[in-house]
Amino acid sequence: MTRSESSSKSELLKGTLDMLILQTLTLQSLHGYAIAQHIERLSDDVLSVEQGSLYPALERLQKKGLVTSKWGESPTGRKARYYTITASGRKHLGKEISSFDRVLVAIHRVMRQA
Amino acid sequence: MSLLDGLRHRLRVLTGARRYARELDDEMHFHLALETMQREHAARGSLSATDAGFAARRRFGNLTRITESSRSMAGLSFFDAIAQDARFALRTFRRSPTFTAVAVLTLAIGIGANTAIFSAVDALLLRPLPFPNPERLMKVSLTVPARGTDPARLDMVWSYPKFAAFRDAQQLFSELALYTEDRVTLSGSGDAERVRGEIAGGEYLRTLGVHPSLGRDFLPEEDKHPDGPRVLLISDVLWKRRFNANPAVLGKVADIDGKPYTIVGVLPPGFRGLSGRAELWTPLMAYPAEELNEAWNHSFTLIARLRPNVTVEQAKADVPRLGAIVDRAYPHPDRPDERWGAVARSLDATRVDPMVRRSLLVLLSAVGLVLLIACANVANLFLVRAAGRRREIAVRLAVGAQRGRLVRQLLTESVLLAMLGGAASILVAWWGVKLLGALDPGSALRRDDIAGIGAVNFTTIHLDARALAFAALLAIATGVVFGLVPALQATDPSLAGALKQDKGAPRDGALRGLTSRNVLATLEIALAVVLLAGSGLMLRSLGKLLGVNPGFDASHTLTMRFNLPREYGRDSLPGFYDDVLARFAALPGVTGTALIDCPPLNGGCNGTAISFRDRPPVAAGTEPDIGVHWVTPSWMAMMHVPLVRGRYFDRGDRSGVRKVVLVNQAAARKFWPDEDPIGRPVSIGQGGFWKDTAFVVGVVGDVRFNSVDSAAVPDAYISYYQSPRGSMMVMLRTAGNASALRPSAQRVLGEVMPGAPIYDIRTMSDRVADTLSYARFSTIILALFGVVALALATMGTYGVISFGVSQRTRELGIRLALGAPRGELLRMIVRQGMALALAGAAAGIVVALVATRVLRAFLYDVLPSDPMTFGVILAVLALAVLAATLIPARRAASVDPSETLRDG
Repeated sequence: MTRSESSSKSELLKGTLDMLILQTLTLQSLHGYAIAQHIERLSDDVLSVEQGSLYPALERLQKKGLVTSKWGESPTGRKARYYTITASGRKHLGKEISSFDRVLVAIHRVMRQA
Repeated sequence: MSLLDGLRHRLRVLTGARRYARELDDEMHFHLALETMQREHAARGSLSATDAGFAARRRFGNLTRITESSRSMAGLSFFDAIAQDARFALRTFRRSPTFTAVAVLTLAIGIGANTAIFSAVDALLLRPLPFPNPERLMKVSLTVPARGTDPARLDMVWSYPKFAAFRDAQQLFSELALYTEDRVTLSGSGDAERVRGEIAGGEYLRTLGVHPSLGRDFLPEEDKHPDGPRVLLISDVLWKRRFNANPAVLGKVADIDGKPYTIVGVLPPGFRGLSGRAELWTPLMAYPAEELNEAWNHSFTLIARLRPNVTVEQAKADVPRLGAIVDRAYPHPDRPDERWGAVARSLDATRVDPMVRRSLLVLLSAVGLVLLIACANVANLFLVRAAGRRREIAVRLAVGAQRGRLVRQLLTESVLLAMLGGAASILVAWWGVKLLGALDPGSALRRDDIAGIGAVNFTTIHLDARALAFAALLAIATGVVFGLVPALQATDPSLAGALKQDKGAPRDGALRGLTSRNVLATLEIALAVVLLAGSGLMLRSLGKLLGVNPGFDASHTLTMRFNLPREYGRDSLPGFYDDVLARFAALPGVTGTALIDCPPLNGGCNGTAISFRDRPPVAAGTEPDIGVHWVTPSWMAMMHVPLVRGRYFDRGDRSGVRKVVLVNQAAARKFWPDEDPIGRPVSIGQGGFWKDTAFVVGVVGDVRFNSVDSAAVPDAYISYYQSPRGSMMVMLRTAGNASALRPSAQRVLGEVMPGAPIYDIRTMSDRVADTLSYARFSTIILALFGVVALALATMGTYGVISFGVSQRTRELGIRLALGAPRGELLRMIVRQGMALALAGAAAGIVVALVATRVLRAFLYDVLPSDPMTFGVILAVLALAVLAATLIPARRAASVDPSETLRDG
């Protein structure tokens, strides 16, 4: 269903987006819009992607059992779906971050020597 | 944990697909609304709400694609596609109602008939017996070695002394019990009525694992000695009918055949004993001691439950050893060299008569063929329609539709159609099950020589959840079977050429479709020939059975039995019967009265040995067998049994004078092949004719006492007045309708013996019909299948030929325009149909010649390869195909060339 020309880019982004979502949810349960806002604010719009691509990612995380969701009331009184990170979501995030750190250190080292 | 959370999520999506899709939608709109508000707010009025909305949408990305991507991530796209396919399919069905109706009807008949037969197979062959741990139940039988022409018997019933010897020697079974079916007169508290019961050993219920719902079982101490206490268990039905379901029935005394029995228990609803129709159970030990202690009174079936640590195989291996012990304890008095034995079988294996099992399997295969034909027919319809949709499919393939997607869509159509057919089939199945129950061959034909457990019979067939599940499974399977080939063929990419073609002239692709349609039609005809051959053979066999002369005239004859009053001893019985017969003879319309001990076609009649006093004696026990029948002198003439030589009995043949017998022609042929039997001295092992010599005074025609399809065996007749006997059957011949005599017969008997019930009151014609009920049962059903198969195959042929004609309208127009005679066109189309019929018939006959061999055991006086039957069915088939071909052929011949040419 995904168009083939964008697949390599989306493959690259997929893992990163998942990590950002999980990281965001470690603080508190949030609805989709709040997650998008939070990611954009923290990354100074550098990592901004189409906001909508958040939702397939959330669906994927739920299927893996890293995130669960529940309908609740937003501060404005509207019904919204709130996402919560699960225990295995936290474990997964920890692993991802440490491997990400290792990669970053490696990249940093390589770039400095060049 | 994560696995569980993920699974829960998937389950939620699956169970509430529609709700979940709506939630996704809500969520994204919520997001957009917040983003719009946020932007409006940030711009402080410089942005209109509409523009803010647009900006939010741009920021969000393509809503449709993201929604789709989310849905596909959630697994919803699968449902979307199915729902879409189903909606499309339903639209297509609505557009072609005739096609849909024909297909659904065809499938409904095919699936429904299969479900009905499956219900029967399930109830009679598959389902476990309705007792706890039924696989631990066994039936133990005595075995008798072959004697002369009589084959060995493996299913001999037991006498009590032999059972006692077996029981005391065995270590295999934890419980074991004798039982037999019985009919008794129940009186006291209400009218006397004749009910079916069972005489049961003390452990009968414990063996089966059944417990009384009220009161108690027979007690072990009641089971010790003959002449034991008269206690009684009753069925739930009898309790409700006769005792108003009153719990105080326990301790009440009921009168059974004139003896008082105390009711001690009521059995659970639905339990009617192994005979399947018992209403009460009397203890074996209440049976008269002199009969019970007779080692050669073989009357009882032995059932047993294995000890927990004993396997079925161990029991089977050890029972013959026990049989030898019983044989040593009770050697045959006349045949000391004969070795009897014992054999154990699982009770489940003896549940139905082997013939019932075989015929059910034959019916199951036949109905499977019907379904195959139905599938071929619907597949044909699909092919025809796919040919009509060639352009639609070609366009869709050309604009990039994936082949898999198209196949899935066509398959959805066929499965959906099959499911509609499956739903409609429930009606057919419901009706079929009712028909099976109504035709029940067992109810009329429950005789001693029919094996099997009465508790498992055709009236226990129901359309239950298992049958419905079977129908659903069958519907889906047939949908795939008849849908797959047309779907693959219709979407063959090489058919994309259809786009270029003009619609009038079929080329290679369409021709290929035509070929597979021809193959399907040929297959249908071949299968129909197989079914027709089977039903034709059965019909012919039934016809022969109906044509058999049973040796007597059954018309206008009423038969009945009744209990004898206790005050009459054996010697005063003739006087009693004389009185009763005189009263019957005085009834208006009665033209003759007679007595016989065992009516013709009843089976299980009496037999004994015969010896010849004018020949050297043979060793004891090697004398030939002969059937023995007690009749009043009037019986022969009244039943129109022809006199061949000598004379009939007359009233002068009575006790105290010279003993005489009549023999039948079979006996005359066998025992006096080259002599005149008249005046020969014989001894017959019954009725006091063994020690005394009797003289043959007449030879009469053969009467079939066993069944219509078993030839007459040597029989001898004894005059009732010379050797009186217990209960006899009364036969009345009337001028008019025999069954109309029933009320007055009952009244007459009421005058002689108030309160005594008549039983077994039936016309002789009904008795004859009942003996054929089994043959009629299988034949009717097979014939029904044959007719359905023929109709479907004819429809299939019609479809193929008719479609061929409509495809060739242009070609036919051109031929006509060029001067082809119309008759020639007609013949051409008919020839095509006949070619299909010929190919199908040839293939069908080859298969049928092999397949009909399984019918051999069911056929009477007809060979499985009977040329006459095959000839007739081929003629019928040719006529049907001709009719199916003529309609399109006439249409072809009446094509208007000018119109078809202009249409192009």
